[in-house]
This record gives sequence, structure tokens and C-alpha cells, in this order.
Amino acid sequence: MEIPRRRLRLMSALLSALAMVIVVQLVKVQIVDHRFYKEWGREQRERSIAIADPPRGVIRDRAGHLLAGNGVRYSVEAAPVYVVDATAAATALSPRLHLPLGQVESQLRSDAPWALLAASVPKETGEEIASLGLRGITVRPQWVREYPEGSLTAYVTGFCNADGEGFYGVEGFYDDLLRPRTVEWHGPVDPSSEQIPWAVAPVVLPHPGTELVLTLDRTIQALAEEELSRSLAEFQAQGGTVIVLDARTFEILALVSLPDYDPARYGELYSTNPDLASDPAVSKQYEPGSVFKVLTVAAALDSGLVTPETTYQDTGHIEVGGVVVSNASHRAYGEQTVADILIKSLNVGAAWLSTQMGPDLFYRYALAFGIGRPTEVDLAGEVAGRMWLPDDYEHWHEADLATNAFGQGLAVTPIQMVTAIATVANDGARLRPHIVARRIEPDGQVFTYRPTVEAQVISTATARTLTDVMVRVVEEGVPQAQVPGYRVAGKTGTAQIPIPGGYDPQGTIVSFVGFGPVPDPQVVVLVKLERPRTSTWASETAARSFARLMGRLFIVLGVPPNDGLEVAGL
Amino acid sequence: MWFPAGVERMHWVRRSLRQGRSKVNRRAVLHLALLVALVTVLSVAYLMLVGGTAARGRHIQQLQAELFRLQRENEQLEVQIAAESAIVRLRERAKSLGFVPAERVVFVP
Repeated sequence: MEIPRRRLRLMSALLSALAMVIVVQLVKVQIVDHRFYKEWGREQRERSIAIADPPRGVIRDRAGHLLAGNGVRYSVEAAPVYVVDATAAATALSPRLHLPLGQVESQLRSDAPWALLAASVPKETGEEIASLGLRGITVRPQWVREYPEGSLTAYVTGFCNADGEGFYGVEGFYDDLLRPRTVEWHGPVDPSSEQIPWAVAPVVLPHPGTELVLTLDRTIQALAEEELSRSLAEFQAQGGTVIVLDARTFEILALVSLPDYDPARYGELYSTNPDLASDPAVSKQYEPGSVFKVLTVAAALDSGLVTPETTYQDTGHIEVGGVVVSNASHRAYGEQTVADILIKSLNVGAAWLSTQMGPDLFYRYALAFGIGRPTEVDLAGEVAGRMWLPDDYEHWHEADLATNAFGQGLAVTPIQMVTAIATVANDGARLRPHIVARRIEPDGQVFTYRPTVEAQVISTATARTLTDVMVRVVEEGVPQAQVPGYRVAGKTGTAQIPIPGGYDPQGTIVSFVGFGPVPDPQVVVLVKLERPRTSTWASETAARSFARLMGRLFIVLGVPPNDGLEVAGL
Repeated sequence: MWFPAGVERMHWVRRSLRQGRSKVNRRAVLHLALLVALVTVLSVAYLMLVGGTAARGRHIQQLQAELFRLQRENEQLEVQIAAESAIVRLRERAKSLGFVPAERVVFVP
């Protein structure tokens, strides 16, 4: 009897010990490591899945016309393990996807857990395949960015890639706002990560990106594009830019550059000419040439140094800092007025003015006009231009004071130049140029852009005096820029193209910047043409383009002529 | 039989059952039955509630899917309309209809 009793005790002890181990383990699992195991279990049965795939915010012009919207395409995917009849499925899919039968069938028979049959098929094809109800075949909708106006607004909109990232233009600048907010649902899911509706999930409404309404007018944009295209062909120029700005609000009404590209086919762009993607109006800097004389004369007039009637002796050349500056015609004009500096586009006169002012005053005004710094326009990729200042001992030379006065030795972007001239048209007040008029949030809230004065660069009186001189520039100096029935003001710019070691003798960049009608300017227009062949002078090329475009703009904007009520010869 | 044969120690249960007509035992059985019924009713109600909730959840999912489908349809249609009325199309259409740019404009005061 001793042995069984001993065995019983031993067994009891062992069982007790085992029970103790179990109890300790239970305490450990249930109490000590409670949080860990609870979290582990939750992770296994719950997931965060995106249940709403809202679209990117759309972009419209000022009248509500769609410039960038969202189309739908489908990706066709397969889970080969669930495909019942690979041959039948491949026979059904192959002609619809325009893929070889063998390729589709081998994908459907593969051991891979997932196979992408087609990344992007048209909506109709996707819906047709979905309606076939093929087991193991998933048709997934996806957004694709569409640009209904095509290349017409390419540089304004920029483009958006397949991952929904915006580049260049408005797409790039406002990428964060345009991106939709993905709504995720967290809860129990089945093995295929599908939502299990154990509870009434909160109602999720799509939360698309912010809608942007631009200041751009697509009709004016089309006019500008048409005129630029005509000018490139007529003057055999390699490229060009046109900007139309509202003279009172600095709203961009049109912004065109050629050659351009189709933003919906941005992929082709990168394989052919990636440089074409950046917007020349904000990213490409050039020497402005004589257009800059307007700013030089503005500074001299506003500082009280001269009046339009002040005279100087034009000997045909002037030496500043060891560099001899000559007039473009290499002629000496004798006694000339300050107004003549603009009307006859005299380099010597401009250099004389800047040296009279001195570097401090001259560069203070140039900076106030926005030269050498970004305008902060709401378009991606803006560059600052280049203007060396006297405190930059490494780069600035005394001769720069003379050459800068007539737009040489510095670089500007078209948007900087048109903004500077618009400042004169706007009674001396410089505003920030902008292209977004208002944004509409998904909840319906509307935020409207209110233009603010960046700087009162010159007085109203100076601006009006200068405007009168610029009208004389058109009437007496560049009649090619005259618009029948309207008084317009403007200035030509013919600039050499800097190359290492000097200037390119072969070509020029010609431009004309002007506004009208005077005395109540509505629009400011910049026309810039690169390397025209029929003539290297702005007066024979860009000025003519300006006049034609301005004439049509006045009609479209409903601006009556200065004299009479009839406009002919359009 | 409710209990397996040979379970000697369960004799008190059998005795109680044999004495089932006693008031105390009948009341106990009644209470037990009520309890079972209550639990059954509550269970059914709970199941109905969970089932209804799941059905509603599923319905909401379907409505959301329909909402997203309509939104895609709407966006796609807007793009198509915009493409049809794009400036390039309008220009072509105007040309084909014989429109030409005006050469003379008169403003009406």
C-alpha cells in the first residue's frame, strides 16, 4: 500500500506543480502581458484599408471651363489561384486587352499570387471586362489626370503623374491643396482584406482635393497662343512667350510659351525633350535689353533728378568703369531729352542717367521694381533672375551700372519684366502677379485671393508722366506697335544672347512690353521671341505681334476705342 | 435517460425527479425554464441586433461604393464635355460653319 500512496503523492505533487505552472502562465498571459496579447490579436483581425479614393482637385479658368480634370481608367489584375478556366478567361481577355493570347494564358497559369494583366485600360473596356464576371480577375478603377484643352494651357497647369504628384505650373505649386484626402477605415477584415461589417461603419464621404479657379481666361489664352504661333512662323523664330496681365489686379489672363507639350503625355516629354517641361515664363531668364530703359528712366524721374524735358549731349558713346558704351546705331545724336532716351532707345542716354543717379539709387529702384528676386507668382519653378549688386565685390563692376541701365549684364524672367512694366501702368504700385483667383474647399468654403500692394515703387505722378513718354515711344519711335483706334504705351527690347566669352553674333531675343488703352490701362502684354530670322530687331517683329494681339484683346475685353466707336483693320 | 446508467452518486437527482410533483421542485423547474426562455429570447434578440447591424453596415458599404461609382462617372462625363467644348474643337467647328474673324467692330454706346 506504501508504493501506491507514494505514487499518489508524487502524482499529486507533479500535478500541483503543473497546475502552478499553468496558473503562473495564465497570470502572465492574462494579466502581466495582457496588453501585448490583446494588441497582437487585434492586429491579426483588424486592418486599416482605404475605402474612399477621391479625385484630385480640378482646375478651372475664370469662367469655369475645365482645364484639368479627372478621367477614369481601369487596371486589370488576376489572382491565378482563383482562376477556374485559364484558357477561357485568356480567350475572353486577350482581344479586349490587345495582348497575345499566349501571354495572358501564361500569366493566368503562373504560380504568382497576383499578376497585373493591364495597367491602364479605357473605362469602357474595364467595365466590359468587369461585366464578364470572370473568377480570379479583378478590375480596379483608377483616376487619371485629363487636360481637355491639351497643350493650350500646358505651361499654366503643369502636369500630374500616375502617382498623383503634381509638377510645374499650378499642379506643382498647389500640389498639397489639389491632392485628395484618402479616407481610411479601421476595423475587422476577412482574409482577403475586405471590410467585415460587424458594426455600422461611419458614413464616409469622398474628400476630393481643393478646386482651383484661375484668373486665366481661356479665350484670351487661345488668342495669345494663336498670335504667338503666327509670329513664330512669320518671323521664323525658334520660340517665344506671351503674357497678358490685368493692369489693375496683376491677374494673369494668359500665359503662353511655344514650343509646348501635351500635359497628358508628359511621359513622352521626358524621353524626347525634358527641358520643355519647365515654364519659360517663370523659369527661363534672359537679358531684357532696351525694355529695361523704362525702369532706368522711371528711377531718374521719380528721384527728381530729371524731367522728360531734361537734356544731355549724346556723343554716341560713354565710358564707364573702363568700358565704352555705344548706341545700337553707333550714331551720335547730339542734344537729346530724357524722353528721347526711350523714344529713340539710346543706350548712351540710359548709361548717362544711371551714372547720374549712382549705384545706390539705381539699384534701389531696380530692386523695388522686383528685378533680381522672384515675383512669388503662384507657379512652380520660378527663378530669381540675376542682377549683381555693388556690395558683391566678386561679380559687380562699375561698368555694370552703365550696361544694366539698358538691360545688359543682368537677366530677368518674362514674368518679372511684365510685372515691372505693369507697375508703371498701375500708377506706380507693384502688386504680386497671381494666377489663382479663388479656391473652393470640398466642404464648399470659398477663399478668394485679394491682391495686395507689394510696393509703391514710383509716385502716381511719375507713373503717368512715364506713361505719356511710353505712348510717344509707340507713336514716334515704334509705329509698328500702334493699335488702330487705341492709345497704347510700350517699349521694345532687342537683346543679344550671352554665350561664354561674349555675345552670340548670330541671333537676338526680341521683346515688346506695353499696355493700354491709355489713360486707363486694362491689360499689360509682353511678347518675347527667340532668335527671329526675318529681322533681329524687336520693332520689326515683337512690336507687330504686340499690336495685333492687343487689337484683338481690346475687342474681346469689350474696351471701346479712344477715338470714335469703330475699330477697323483688325 | 438523462443521466448515464451506473452513476450511483447521482441517486439524489433521480429521486428528485421521481418526486417531481413536489411543489418546490416544480417551482425550480419553472424557474429554470423561464431562465432558459429568457436567455433564448435575449440571445435571439442579440443575434437579430447584430444581424441587423451587419446588414446595415453592408448596405452602407454598397451605398458608398455606388456613391464612388457615380462620382467617377460624374468626373469622367465632365472631362468628356470639356473635351468636346475645348477651344480647339470650337475653332474647328466655327471654321467648318464658315465663321471668320471680324475685320471691323462697332461699339454700341
